[in-house]
Amino acid sequence: MEELLDGLYTAVLNGDASGAVENVTAALNAGAAPEAILQESMIPAMMEVGRLFELGEAFVPEMLIAARAMQSGLQILRPHLIAADVEPVGKVVLGTVSGDMHDIGKNLVGMMLEGAGYATVDLGVNVSPQAFVDAVEKEGDVDLVCMSALLTTTMPQMRATIDAFKHAEIYDDVKIMVGGAPVTPEFAEAIGAHGSADDAGQAVKVAQRLTGLAA
Amino acid sequence: MSSQTQERWSVEIAGMPHFDQAMDRIYAWFEGEIIDRPPVRFSAHNAFVEQQKGHLAGMNAEERKALWFDVEYQLDMFERSIEGRVWHGETFPVFSPNLGPDVYAAFYAGDLIFGEVTSWIAPALKDWDDMDALRLDMDNVYFRKIDELTMQALERCPGKYLVGYTDLHPGLDCCVGWRGPQQFCLDMYDSPENVHRLADLAISGFETVYDHYDDILKAHGQLSVNWMGIPTFGRMHVPSCDFSSLISPAMFEEFGLPILQREVKTMTHNIFHIDGKGVARHRDAILSVPEVHAIQWVQGMGHDLPIMQWVPLIKEIQARAPIIIDLNKAELDDFMEAMEPEGVFLWIATESEEEELELLDRIAKW
Repeated sequence: MEELLDGLYTAVLNGDASGAVENVTAALNAGAAPEAILQESMIPAMMEVGRLFELGEAFVPEMLIAARAMQSGLQILRPHLIAADVEPVGKVVLGTVSGDMHDIGKNLVGMMLEGAGYATVDLGVNVSPQAFVDAVEKEGDVDLVCMSALLTTTMPQMRATIDAFKHAEIYDDVKIMVGGAPVTPEFAEAIGAHGSADDAGQAVKVAQRLTGLAA
Repeated sequence: MSSQTQERWSVEIAGMPHFDQAMDRIYAWFEGEIIDRPPVRFSAHNAFVEQQKGHLAGMNAEERKALWFDVEYQLDMFERSIEGRVWHGETFPVFSPNLGPDVYAAFYAGDLIFGEVTSWIAPALKDWDDMDALRLDMDNVYFRKIDELTMQALERCPGKYLVGYTDLHPGLDCCVGWRGPQQFCLDMYDSPENVHRLADLAISGFETVYDHYDDILKAHGQLSVNWMGIPTFGRMHVPSCDFSSLISPAMFEEFGLPILQREVKTMTHNIFHIDGKGVARHRDAILSVPEVHAIQWVQGMGHDLPIMQWVPLIKEIQARAPIIIDLNKAELDDFMEAMEPEGVFLWIATESEEEELELLDRIAKW
């Protein structure tokens, strides 16, 4: 069994989607618990990709193929997780703010959060403050909202979105994380965000802290 | 042709009586030398450009495109922005026809979507089987509009400003325009042979496009200049590869470097635009190309400010090539204290002519 889980870890880490599918299938057939496959193999592999990214030893293409391998494995695993009543560790709504069309950073954060066990609702790019509010109200059990902006000209939309959350009286119901090239912790604090992250690897750690999964 | 042996000529520009001296300082800078002080380019606050942004803010996509395409409006706005200006240092008034950074990709295929300050392209190549349909089309709507902007500007510019060629990105950034950045990252693993073919296609039309504009500008007594505003009498170009901030050095060397080598080979003056630390990761490969004559370093926002944290990197590049630095005037004294002036070209945002003259005095003592 350990060999299969190691193989799955390596397949996700190396972005080998067919290898991930084969190993998930083989591990299930061998009687591995779905949660163990996820927690002991797939999530650690994505965390390692994030660590390598932070160290400058992996880059965006490597993160993308790893996330794709993770998704391929999850497609096989997900029905078994549901059958075993394994819940996501939290729910995240994410999007790029109004006026900003950049999506790759936001997509990477979404993939990494999924890789860490979160359920994600991706609102896409050019998301208005009201659309963020509507999504949180519609989903109902959102733990974390992630906003991305790549431009100094669109950063003010982060504040506008947080103001919309306050106006809708849902600001206290969720945690808010912001990120993107021009975003600093000082800016995040000034606009009322609960945290900020420099890259997708760090975003997972901040998300885990904000949602109470890590200190 | 050596930059020292190029034919030179003078251009009359109102408010810039020192045109020839400014050109001498630029040519000395390319050689890593200083005549009396390092060259300096000032970028002043421009109320008219802010006004244009204001106009565009309330418009829908079609209305924005109409304004970007309105030749009279674009030239009127530019001319109002330079009216009555006195040009200090190596600051040249330059009108560069502009439809955004993806216009070269759009010369082949794809629709540009116009925002308030820039435009972006809708990826046109969904399927590799469609690659053969990608063709440089010098009669398409974007090419004709850039031609029109160029020709109208050339009619109106004499005695007032220089006209440049439009911003051309023929390398991996062009491929990204056609495929989208995320898909293109995956392509590098999934289909490297098609990435090579696409990059080859992207660069294949560059010389034709560049020559088209260079011929027009030279026929009108213009210099070679673009958005960067550093004119030369030869063939000046600003190669760049913003996409490279996403990829490893090994991938840049495999996919980006061969394109860069082709992009720069017919130019007399190449200034590579390094946009942030992600691109700077590839500086050894970039500077391995002998035709890359200089570097423009642009630090990012947020954590990447202020400039002083980059002094070791700037010194490293300075030892190998002339370098342009964009800094805040409040950082100038610390920067001059930490750096030697040889090979440095300063860009500084200013608020007034008096401030520019004071800064020039300070820099002359560096």
